[in-house]
Amino acid sequence: MTTLLMPEVDQRVLFDKEKIVSDLKKFTNSNNIISDSEGVTPYETDALSAYKQKPMIVVLPENTEEVSDILKYCNENNIKVVPRGAGTGLSGGALPLKDCVLLSLTKFKKILEVDYENRCVVTQPGVTNLSITKAVEDRGFYYAPDPSSQIACSIGGNIAENSGGVHCLKYGMTTNNVLGVEIVLMDGTILRFGGKKIESEGYDLLGLITGSEGLLGVLTEVTVKILKKPQSVKALLLGFDSIEEAGKTVSDIISGGVIPAAMEIMDKPLIKATNDYSKAGYPLDVEAILIVELDGTESEVGVLITKVEQIAQKNKVKYLRASKDDEERLRFWLGRKAAFPAIGDMSPDYLCMDGVIPRKKLPEVLKEINKLSKKYNLRVANCFHAGDGNLHPLIMFDSNIPAELKKAEDFGADILKLCVQSGGVLSGEHGIGIEKRELMCEMFNNEDIQQQLSIKKAFDEKSLLNPGKVYPILHRCAEGGKMHVKTGEEKFKDIPRF
Amino acid sequence: MSEVYSPTSEQDVQTFVHSCFLEGSPIEVMGFGSKAIGREIQCSKTLKLQKLDGIIEYFPDELYIKVKPGTSLELIENTLEQKNQELSFEPSDLGYLYKGKSLKGSAGAAVACNLSGSRRFKAGALRDHLLGFRAVNGKGEVIKSGGSVVKNVTGYDVSKLISGSYGTLGVITEIIFKVQPKYDESQTLIIYDLNLKKALNVFSQSMQTSYEISGACYYPEGMASFFTLNDIDTNSSITALRVEGPKISVSERIKSLKKLFSDHQNIFVLENYQSRIFWKSTSDISFFNNSENTVVKISLPPVFTEEFLQQFTNEDIKFVVDWAGNLIWIEIAKEDSVLLRQLRKKVINFNGHLTIMKAPTHVRIREDFLTVVDENIKKLSLRIKDSFDPKGILNPGKMYSGL
Repeated sequence: MTTLLMPEVDQRVLFDKEKIVSDLKKFTNSNNIISDSEGVTPYETDALSAYKQKPMIVVLPENTEEVSDILKYCNENNIKVVPRGAGTGLSGGALPLKDCVLLSLTKFKKILEVDYENRCVVTQPGVTNLSITKAVEDRGFYYAPDPSSQIACSIGGNIAENSGGVHCLKYGMTTNNVLGVEIVLMDGTILRFGGKKIESEGYDLLGLITGSEGLLGVLTEVTVKILKKPQSVKALLLGFDSIEEAGKTVSDIISGGVIPAAMEIMDKPLIKATNDYSKAGYPLDVEAILIVELDGTESEVGVLITKVEQIAQKNKVKYLRASKDDEERLRFWLGRKAAFPAIGDMSPDYLCMDGVIPRKKLPEVLKEINKLSKKYNLRVANCFHAGDGNLHPLIMFDSNIPAELKKAEDFGADILKLCVQSGGVLSGEHGIGIEKRELMCEMFNNEDIQQQLSIKKAFDEKSLLNPGKVYPILHRCAEGGKMHVKTGEEKFKDIPRF
Repeated sequence: MSEVYSPTSEQDVQTFVHSCFLEGSPIEVMGFGSKAIGREIQCSKTLKLQKLDGIIEYFPDELYIKVKPGTSLELIENTLEQKNQELSFEPSDLGYLYKGKSLKGSAGAAVACNLSGSRRFKAGALRDHLLGFRAVNGKGEVIKSGGSVVKNVTGYDVSKLISGSYGTLGVITEIIFKVQPKYDESQTLIIYDLNLKKALNVFSQSMQTSYEISGACYYPEGMASFFTLNDIDTNSSITALRVEGPKISVSERIKSLKKLFSDHQNIFVLENYQSRIFWKSTSDISFFNNSENTVVKISLPPVFTEEFLQQFTNEDIKFVVDWAGNLIWIEIAKEDSVLLRQLRKKVINFNGHLTIMKAPTHVRIREDFLTVVDENIKKLSLRIKDSFDPKGILNPGKMYSGL
């Protein structure tokens, strides 16, 4: 575990713990309050398990009024609050503070309304991403953003992190698919942004809170848009002799006017690892694999497949196969979706990075990453959401070797700096949290950060809601930690990550 | 007379705003200044961004274009057209509404007003296509947010906040738009002679199919008379559904739609060329060409659209419905403030809202341009405004009194 600078602990609050517990009982059933050391342990970390901290008290409110009363009380008594959804976040956004009330939204697990007429679902925030699709799929609908952890992650957490998935290029991120929320501010004010109409008046507060990582308010209700499933989905599995050719194929597909539902590139180390692990049947004599998924009507998909095949051939594709049926398409994805556990099998520990780069920079960024790999003497495998430029290098290390975690974290920080220097950004879908907090200065100068901090003050004057996240403390630019996965200790290791 | 300043660089904007910040002088910020959108306000200084123009970079295979705020949408769209790409939110050319001819505004003004055309319900609004920006806030500081990539969770998404903020938070100095390939083919299924209720049913039914409808509008009888397209019967009411994509797929989906609505007698298909003109005219609000009356835009959940309009059947209003029932354009007599207020009051009851898109100056002084009802949201909005512009010098009162 790496040490991390967090906001100063308020000793007075710790001293008053018993009184706070008894006060909180006025707002919610006493069974919903956990304050013993053993009881709060399950909440000490999210999926960024390198960092742990037990919260002072955990509260599990049952409705909006309770959330409002609790926040108002904490605000008046200067008690820090950390909101938490399903706890599957990869950047430490739900990491508790020693003197905080951890507000868990797990009791908000009801889908309130399925409205086909307005093509939306109204739900409580603790509902999982996948259950929304499950609730509407019998009528052929689905909820588009599909983060890899969708069986476990909550829709409220998705909004907090503006979650993505592999289909962002065509269907957008969470922010493009959420219509409205009910939100409670730190002072207890209950507000509604957006709703069933597609445009709202005044400032776009819904857009602002999406991806705000739980710093601006606590969600208590969510309205999301649902889409009709496409008639047909097919995939192409393409193998190339170089990353350059795979990258050029991606650029040519896009400039050729095709927007695939998903495009994924894997480099040679990852092809081997995932193939060994999942027996996906990938070609092993290639340097890069590109999976292209196309959807639409039957005939449309047919036309697009031919077009993409021609582009691939122009770029000297070495291996080319189109899925004959859904079973084969899912097999193409099998290896890709096994990327994380496959790496976990190869190395005692790994760090998963989440940078974004302009698509065309992929070959040079990968070259640099390989140079860094030699410099740090650590292995790395790369998967790349090529459609939207989201790069996930997996850095392998062994935390039993002294100082190796630090080395891996330094390597990771260098990769993210490289992403920013290439014209990209620090995070595509995992968020900043505590993980990349200190790297914000790579992208933003002091004025940018001060502006964002003053937006925070407009929502939460005393900065009591989820403090210490996203923005550097003391505005120092040091290297932060990364998603550290110790084999066997990975949280939610049974949910897929890609 | 307000003093007009036309900067040619971000540095100029910064110096100007900073000096106004020190003096506490309010500034009216505008693009070309060709249309009077927003509340009528009086400022001692005017900042016109027309000369801060030009395309900074355009990478078709990276799907983005970076421009300065004074760049005309016309130049942007023509540049994209050469690479067979477009802004898929179909920005409206409000020149028709204001001057009776094409007069596209600036990129900066489009962002400030979050203007989106007929494809909005499928492709998203302008705010969904603004990847990043640079701006000068009310303290004269340069701020930025976002980037040139589509996937990004790095700090607050301030691009959303700046879209549709009518210049009240910052003076935009650089804009990065996401661009998309143009569709090969556009076709429109037209059903004549439906009443509004039936048309809304057609929208609802078609939106629940997988045919990816990208336009759905309704012209009541007489409202389509401005069209000069050969294949349109302009005497009937028109219910239109657009389908776009590769030609083979479009033809297939149109065929399926025809089958779905085969119980309707008067069905017709507009082919590619005429279909494109039809939707451009609809996005450009050409039905209220050079209107001398008051034109408002109403957004509400589509299930309430009919019930809302029914309340006004005895009034002298003209309307067109777009965005599959989510949007109503209404024209009323320019002096009729009573009706304007009634419309606003009723639409709020239906969880919707009204924005004045064109009105005589005295109406624009007297009436709110848009209404935010919730007092707590108003307070929060004001605190956000303060965080960007603590002295309230940028377009003060442009959206509603106090903001």
